[in-house]
Amino acid sequence: MADKRVIIVGGGLAGLAAAIRIAEAGLAVDLFSMVPVKRSHSVCAQGGINACNEVARQQGYSEYQHFDETLYGGDYLADQAPVLEMTNFAPKVIDLLDRMGVPFNRTAEGFRDLRLFGGSLFKRTHFSGATTGQQLLYALDEQVRKLAVQGKINKYEFWEFLWPICTEDTDDKRCIGITAQDMRTMQIRSFRGDAVVMATGGCGLVFGKSTNSIICTGGAASRCYQAGAWYANPEMIQVHPTAIPGADKCRLMSESARGEGGRVWVPRKKGDARQARDIPENERWYFLEEKYPGYGNLVPRDIATREIFDLCVNQDMGVDGQNQVYLDLTHMDPGYLTRKLGGILEIYEKFVGVDPRFEPMKIFPAVHYSMGGMWTQYTPGSYEPSSPHGMHNPFDTSPVDSDIGKGMALGAPNNMQTNIKGLYAFGEVNFAYHGATRLGANALLSCIFDGLYNGVSVANYVNDCEPSKNPAAQFDQNIYDAAVKQEQAKAQKLLNSVSDGPADDATNPYKIGYELGVEITSASTVVKTGKGLSACLDKIHALNDRYQNVRLGDAASWTNQTLSYTRAIGDMLVLAEVIVKGGILREESRGSHYRLDFPDRNDEKFLKTTVVSYQPGSDDPHQVTFRDVDTRFVKPRPRTYGKTDTKNAESTKSDQPETATA
Amino acid sequence: MAHASTIKNFKNTPKPDRTVQFRIKRCDGPGQPSRYESFNVPIESGSNVISCLQYIAANPITVTGQKTTPVVWDAGCLEEICGACTMVINGKVRQSCSCLIDEYAPHEGDVITLEPMSKFPVVRDLWVDRQRLFESLEKVSAWVPIDGSYDLGPGPQETPQQSEMRYTLSTCMSCGCCLEACPQYQKEDDASSWDTSFIGAAPLSQARLFNEHGTGRQLKGARLDALMGPGGINDCGNAQNCVKVCPKEIPLTESIAAVGRAVTIHSFTRFFTGK
Amino acid sequence: MATQKNSPLRQHHFLLRRLHSLSGIVPIGVFLILHLTTNATILWGVLNSRAGSDMLARRVGTFQEEVSFINGLPALLLIELTLWISLGFHSILGVYYAFSGRPNVREYPYPDNWRYTLQRVSGYVGILFIFYHVATLRWGWSFLVPGGTQWSHNFAASTLAAAMQGSEQGYTVAGIAVSLFYFVGVSLLVYHFANGLWTAAITWGLTISEQAQKRWGFVCAGLGAGMMLLAWASIIGFATLDYDAAAEIEGAMHSETNIPAAAQSHADNTNP
Repeated sequence: MADKRVIIVGGGLAGLAAAIRIAEAGLAVDLFSMVPVKRSHSVCAQGGINACNEVARQQGYSEYQHFDETLYGGDYLADQAPVLEMTNFAPKVIDLLDRMGVPFNRTAEGFRDLRLFGGSLFKRTHFSGATTGQQLLYALDEQVRKLAVQGKINKYEFWEFLWPICTEDTDDKRCIGITAQDMRTMQIRSFRGDAVVMATGGCGLVFGKSTNSIICTGGAASRCYQAGAWYANPEMIQVHPTAIPGADKCRLMSESARGEGGRVWVPRKKGDARQARDIPENERWYFLEEKYPGYGNLVPRDIATREIFDLCVNQDMGVDGQNQVYLDLTHMDPGYLTRKLGGILEIYEKFVGVDPRFEPMKIFPAVHYSMGGMWTQYTPGSYEPSSPHGMHNPFDTSPVDSDIGKGMALGAPNNMQTNIKGLYAFGEVNFAYHGATRLGANALLSCIFDGLYNGVSVANYVNDCEPSKNPAAQFDQNIYDAAVKQEQAKAQKLLNSVSDGPADDATNPYKIGYELGVEITSASTVVKTGKGLSACLDKIHALNDRYQNVRLGDAASWTNQTLSYTRAIGDMLVLAEVIVKGGILREESRGSHYRLDFPDRNDEKFLKTTVVSYQPGSDDPHQVTFRDVDTRFVKPRPRTYGKTDTKNAESTKSDQPETATA
Repeated sequence: MAHASTIKNFKNTPKPDRTVQFRIKRCDGPGQPSRYESFNVPIESGSNVISCLQYIAANPITVTGQKTTPVVWDAGCLEEICGACTMVINGKVRQSCSCLIDEYAPHEGDVITLEPMSKFPVVRDLWVDRQRLFESLEKVSAWVPIDGSYDLGPGPQETPQQSEMRYTLSTCMSCGCCLEACPQYQKEDDASSWDTSFIGAAPLSQARLFNEHGTGRQLKGARLDALMGPGGINDCGNAQNCVKVCPKEIPLTESIAAVGRAVTIHSFTRFFTGK
Repeated sequence: MATQKNSPLRQHHFLLRRLHSLSGIVPIGVFLILHLTTNATILWGVLNSRAGSDMLARRVGTFQEEVSFINGLPALLLIELTLWISLGFHSILGVYYAFSGRPNVREYPYPDNWRYTLQRVSGYVGILFIFYHVATLRWGWSFLVPGGTQWSHNFAASTLAAAMQGSEQGYTVAGIAVSLFYFVGVSLLVYHFANGLWTAAITWGLTISEQAQKRWGFVCAGLGAGMMLLAWASIIGFATLDYDAAAEIEGAMHSETNIPAAAQSHADNTNP
């Protein structure tokens, strides 16, 4: 028993939840993280976590309604079975977190409070102040600490995942360990594992500045992809319309600022250098109010994002000539603003140094979340309707109860397993749940659901499948030594470049990374065109050529961050190609993916998952196939959110998908 | 009318397009000597210490034109919620992500000094090893002892006041500011001294957090026992720097007093009941 | 780990720390209040109309009455012993604990941090002062007194004035230094007690909320201010007292109560 080990890469919500569940199943867990797990990117989530609850249920809501909303929000690109299982399981997740001591906001009577979130007419979002992600992460971190003290979990913090170690057999490839590097001592070593769970999060850093933490490079997912794991729906990247552009990253500014009456504008005169308050009313361009007289500043989120982006990037009308527009609250009573928006205004004040009650905020859309990720599979559950249902309305009887195992078969060894046996993907790096756009407050749910629910699958795989007959502990040491040598050689090659002399602009890894972010952000985020994407792909290829001659500025054999960053840049370039390639081939507009040259959704051709596999050596190493989406439960319907009803903005507002605050 | 308080954080209107000098304490690794290197960094609007360190990483050339290695530092979320990028800036500990250059260096040629936290062993340059802080969370059993992760219904009900109080304590991001500023908390290179050297405010406050939870208080006795010995609550000197440097404004001194009361009661109970 | 947790050493630690806290208040703090109140009679004794009509006689007389009363207490040695043990315990442990801190008021110049630092400084200086005070006035180490004055409990005010002024004839430079040392030492000890009383409430968990700590702070500050007034009154009283006049009054008192002549001459014995 003790020699059966599971490796988990990533210590965010998904990784920690998986570690707890797998350790409880009696397997030894080795948990790898580039940072102390308490500092994982999950801390940044703010809004809350969705789940059906008793209050909503007695108003006509149900797990099935949550399921329907999630599919609708994701424009039907998600396979439906895992989503059903997730939304059915959601209330159990909340209860567990409650038991772990998460300080959920409480009602006067002491029950868990709920807040309204986009994409639903029912209060179904549980929250803990304005830092729900932080509170959930800490609760799981504490449980993992307890299990670590008990010797059931080994934490490898400040260790960077380098490569999955797989058996050679191409048809029946199996993952039996990883190589990783200690970021302090720079030691590279191999670790045996009967199963490997990737819980490495998103890839915001590919886009340069995003709302993500600086550790979210996507490097780990890219390495698995290059090792043979498939990558799905790479083009589905969520861009949030209102973020605070910073010199180092973008910080989210919640949509509620506009909900409370915030107005978006730019100076009418291009390059107007005056301070905002010196620009008279008639020289301000309230472009959203002008273009959308009905909705005004409360146009649906994707339209707002696209308009702001178009104005700044294509028309160069941004404030101070930069990619930013004003989000103005200064016409409102400061006391009212403090009461309604205090928390988010404080963030702005702290990081910009300006009080948004008296000075308009400068905001811009920012890359926020990757719906795409490693491709995973599942075993369908017991629910098999004869034909898909139409739209589910509140108060309608749910066609299926919320028992475990209706959507997916609990404990099936292949649940959320990639195409490589023994290699799993949980959390944001898993493509499975959010389709083409994620609903707000569903991300935390999908992470913890993956860990808890599919952690059982990992344990079953290790106990009952190949590892039970042929455990990783018995594989030839040569396989592991060779993997270490391969990584050492890669690192050495990069380190050797130091002796070539100082880098110039063409070979400086930081500059290559910066340019990658600029290129892919402008071509492959809010508004895409086939032409623009193709040009971007060429530029990425050029950057890749430059990367081949990259020069490091640090040869240190101790805590060499430059090495780690430069290695990740190479993997980010690969992932960037995949993201752009997916965007080129998806000739339709769906959810977050908006093609100017194909503005409509095309279910006939593209109600399919983009699946990319890596074929090194061939002309185009990124082989794309389209796989049918599982739509056996709900019939896809047009995703309008009442868009046609332009007169009644208020009534449709709450029907908008809240896509990014969690 | 409202203009007076418009840019309230800044004493001086920052000069645009200026160059600021960063004086950075560098060290190649444990046991290596320290040195200071200075870098000129062009400042754009909205720059913070992180963006300046990123500039230095891409352009690692000192003010004297010397080519050097990129500065190593620890960072994560850049939103002052992960706690990673804590360092000593101009002599005082804080997160570097929320340290705005317009506030710290509004004039041409202003100097900002960056140093690693002094209470933790340096890994390299500005990156320190805060493992001791996480181990102290183990010492105070900073968790709720639940039976397991399987569905057993909801947790204990609590009032909004209790929940808010625990929330405030639970926003501690283990950054270590309170430890750095504490005159009683000392750097201990040798891990065997960690258990007996003062534990500091953050773990004490965490002990209080879990003692306040319905299920968490099952371990209250063990937590208090751990805090009654050397390095525990009694080593606090009440300088109260902790509460002033805490970026999350956690009432650390109240936590310390609350734990003080708890151990007082605990010790009397133990004395008179033998338990 | 488990055995270490339950070892007597660990439980000892808690007991010692709490005894240290307690001993500062009872008996040391209580004694300090009484002692300052007694000494200050050298000034507020003027209010004691029972001691005659002459102002100086009231002051010196009241003080002498107090001293005689204390010297007449039963089990005085036991009281003194308790105090010495407490002081020794509090001092030794205090210094040991204080050495574990590294003041950082330069980097973090908050008022509370100064308060913390001053608590340590006042402890160190206070120990020196108490040693000097007890050595010269109780143990009779008159070689440490400028002018070599030997304190006599029968001529309490006059000999103390001479010890603090440097000679029986009035101020000397060294005498002014002694007076200043008294001023600094006593002031610091009063601060040490008032601040210690404030932090003890946190240590024992009496004051938890910031408001409670603030309120208790006012109480301690008020007590400290009162004690400071008593302390300064005593010092001013003795530092400005005329030796001859005081000795005359004391001599007169003792002749009324049949003090032996030998004891009287003791007051003049300046160089044992």
